[in-house]
Amino acid sequence: MMDQHEDPKFEQWLKGAAKSYHSPRATPREEIWKRIEDARRSKHVIELRPWMRWVVAAAAVLVIGIGIGRWTAHQPSAARVTPVAATEADSTQPDVVYQVAATQYLSRAEAFLTGFRADAQGDAHSARFASQARDLLTTTQLMLDSPAAKDPRMRSLLEDLELVLVQISQLGTAQDRHDADLITQGMNQSNVLPKLRSAIPAGPVPVRTEGAL
Amino acid sequence: MDESQLIARVRAGDSAAERALYDTHVDRVYRLAFRLAGDDALAQDFTQETFIRAFDRLGSFRGDAAFSTWLHTITTTVVLNGLRKVKRFRQRETDIDDAHEIGSVHHEAEPDLKARLKQAIDALPEGYRTVLLMHDVEGYTHEEIGAALGVETGTSKAQLSRARGKLRVALSDFAGEWVR
Repeated sequence: MMDQHEDPKFEQWLKGAAKSYHSPRATPREEIWKRIEDARRSKHVIELRPWMRWVVAAAAVLVIGIGIGRWTAHQPSAARVTPVAATEADSTQPDVVYQVAATQYLSRAEAFLTGFRADAQGDAHSARFASQARDLLTTTQLMLDSPAAKDPRMRSLLEDLELVLVQISQLGTAQDRHDADLITQGMNQSNVLPKLRSAIPAGPVPVRTEGAL
Repeated sequence: MDESQLIARVRAGDSAAERALYDTHVDRVYRLAFRLAGDDALAQDFTQETFIRAFDRLGSFRGDAAFSTWLHTITTTVVLNGLRKVKRFRQRETDIDDAHEIGSVHHEAEPDLKARLKQAIDALPEGYRTVLLMHDVEGYTHEEIGAALGVETGTSKAQLSRARGKLRVALSDFAGEWVR
């Protein structure tokens, strides 16, 4: 029995007619491959290699240890507090590594968006910004897949950032001034820059990571 | 060299094998991304992200299903998630534009069939639209669609049927085009 939606003639016609919907051009193979290579190269720069992670983790533990030492020196019941603090320090080691990388990335993003917003008021260099946005976008997407994005606030910030960067990456020419203005308005509405700034620790990165994100 | 050997070489870090695997599949990935996104820059972004994820996660590909099925699962995830984010952003822009256009009057010309078909497909729910484009336009089987979208084959068939039904109603003014 034929379903009430079925109409073979319509289906036949639709298959032909729908080919015109979002009809793609020839695949820009070389262009996309170059972008993939560039993105993977920059990912290798951003992503800490295994041996580097140990070095950073060791440095972070050392700094945390010094911090705990200084802190406990000012506590009247240091003996009781220290074991708890030590346990927390141990459990934060893997997160600290990712948060170091996250903080470096957030600083870059903050600098970029500040520059973009400043130039959007004047003579925007859209193509240059678009290229930089694409680089940052790739990193943002990698960050979204990393353990750093487990933190809900961090994830929300990264998603907002991704949205802004997607739009900037599509700017092509100086004629996109109106689009640049819209992006800036969107940034202002979503408070991306203030959120970014509050997520970046003011001091040396490993010391203040706990409250940074 | 068959595909499983190619994948083994990619896993071993052979960059020429990576390129060969990319060349084998990039057309279908890009076409699907373009059909769903309707924008070359977005389609390129989504294709790029799809392959980056695929290469990064190739270690988790067990070979239970065809590589193309696994790759199209990544493609649809990347594209649909990406489009949702772009839609959110564009909605913000639309809100701003609407605020500026209060009081203005629009005189739209009667759209032709091609434009009406585009509007009707755009208006479909995301799941219906995705299945319709994958099946009727790009030629994926219901099994491939089910695997890529993580739904049962029957669900894919049902969504296609409903999508066609909605389009038939939306385009009923043009019924003469197919009732010949």
